[in-house]
Amino acid sequence: MVLGIQAAVSHPTWSGSYAIDDYGRPMLLPGMSGVVANVRVGDAVFPWAADHLEPGVSAGCDDRGRHQALQFLACLGNTVRVVGGPAAGAVGTVVGKHAFVLVDFPQAALDVLAPGDPLLVRAHGQGLRLSEFPEIAIRSLSPALLRALPLQRTDEGRLRIDVALEIPAQLMGAGLGMSSEWANCDVMFTHRDTVERFGAEGLRLGDVVVMHDQDHRFGRGYRKGMCAIGVVAHGGYGGLPGHGTGVVTIMSGRREQFEPVLVERANVRDYLDLPE
Amino acid sequence: MCATIWIFPNERGRVSEAARINEGELLVTAVVGDVTSPSMAANPYEVDADGRPVVPVGMGGVCYNVKVGMSALGWAGDQVEPGVSIANAVAPANEALNVFACVGNRAVVRSGDAAGVEGVVVGKHEVFMGAKHVLVHLDDGALERVVPGDRVLVRANGRGMRVAERPQIACHSLSPKLWRAWAPELRVGSVAVRVTRVLPPEVMGMGSGRVSAVTSVALQRGVDGLEGLRLGDLVAVSDWDATYYTGYRSGALTIGVVACGDSPLLGNGPGMTLLLSAPAGFLDAELDPDANIAGLLELG
Repeated sequence: MVLGIQAAVSHPTWSGSYAIDDYGRPMLLPGMSGVVANVRVGDAVFPWAADHLEPGVSAGCDDRGRHQALQFLACLGNTVRVVGGPAAGAVGTVVGKHAFVLVDFPQAALDVLAPGDPLLVRAHGQGLRLSEFPEIAIRSLSPALLRALPLQRTDEGRLRIDVALEIPAQLMGAGLGMSSEWANCDVMFTHRDTVERFGAEGLRLGDVVVMHDQDHRFGRGYRKGMCAIGVVAHGGYGGLPGHGTGVVTIMSGRREQFEPVLVERANVRDYLDLPE
Repeated sequence: MCATIWIFPNERGRVSEAARINEGELLVTAVVGDVTSPSMAANPYEVDADGRPVVPVGMGGVCYNVKVGMSALGWAGDQVEPGVSIANAVAPANEALNVFACVGNRAVVRSGDAAGVEGVVVGKHEVFMGAKHVLVHLDDGALERVVPGDRVLVRANGRGMRVAERPQIACHSLSPKLWRAWAPELRVGSVAVRVTRVLPPEVMGMGSGRVSAVTSVALQRGVDGLEGLRLGDLVAVSDWDATYYTGYRSGALTIGVVACGDSPLLGNGPGMTLLLSAPAGFLDAELDPDANIAGLLELG
């Protein structure tokens, strides 16, 4: 089903106190909510003085029930239209989920969008199944992005998918234990030592990655021999320990059902041919 | 002739000296909570790890038949809280209750049929987007008399604890009483504490990224090494830091006490209340199958 869901550009909020980063320093950094006009999906994850950096526009609803519906029903690759304000008529694409639904717009729209501007999200994708891979659970993946991903069925009957990084289970942090469709799961890249140790320096927002020993079918958690495929949704080098780089789950199943192929670039900006 | 006198530490740098804390500096303060009652959404079903509906039971209120020292696994429930679960209805006061209460603190029932009865704080449990509970052990007679709504005073003592000569070690939710009973040992460069097991970092599930002072972290179902786990067990997790927040850190060691039972939900499992954490090399985990607070605190 394709549903029209009301949303609006959110506004940043602040708790009134410092958080503490992974070096033990008090931290007060932007990144979450509102409009980030100079970082977009496709850009590098780490070179920003930001915490939970949500690229582009963060869309939400003031009403909690409606916000939950938006959170669960919006899928990566969905179309979003600005329905009021100076940017009215601009069309964007859902590229991530966090506390908000993250939307990429052309730069001209990002330069004029403001908190409160009304949006319409055409939610399409929850319930999607792969007829050739009925055991693989699909989550928050639109038919549009599914068609755009360079997927192949191998001779052995596996699903071949390009990935930019492999992530071991011990790096999975905040987001474990939550619903598969809700927000994302953080990879604990909050300290330079961890980023370098696991070779993630070149990671980009929008990269497709594989998370090993992860079962993200009915919630998210550890399960040996399974894996999950996801898309990097938020970044920044600042970070609360235990949080980090958010990855939205799009698929999960037994490890042997997948053939992840590590490639130089596997990014939804290219797959969806997002406009400048 | 060489005149140097060598002092040989024995195996693993042991010098057999009790590690000391700043007990004389620590305040004793009063925080209160009321005995909770379980709460649920209109639709009671959660979805378990295999996609089956389950009704979670065990969080909040009074649990008569699950006690510290018993198995943390195998209950037909979700994160069962042993004994009495208390919280303060005023949200900021509940944060303070949950920050200040430490495992081993005295608790006193202040109202109802069990007024005057004393118990012991045995853990803290934070539920996602929900409750923060302090768990109190009462003896069986008192447990039969206490009801949801009864007020419980916690004589909070332990916040601000530091280990003498080892400033690298962060202390959380740990009372001087439990410290003395546990008797950590000062070693060359480190402090050794007794634990029932050392678990790998991938065991840490929901609770990653939370504030260490106030929270519990779920030991995820499905990770090797949880067999035989008991409520009250002192447990170490390698490559895990809980100095301020809870998260992965190569080489660090975090130690906690198992506060609540297993969960059928993915990413969840027995909740561990945090006690100690330090960077690589400053904390040693010494295996002892009896390292459980039921014995150390002589819970009746």
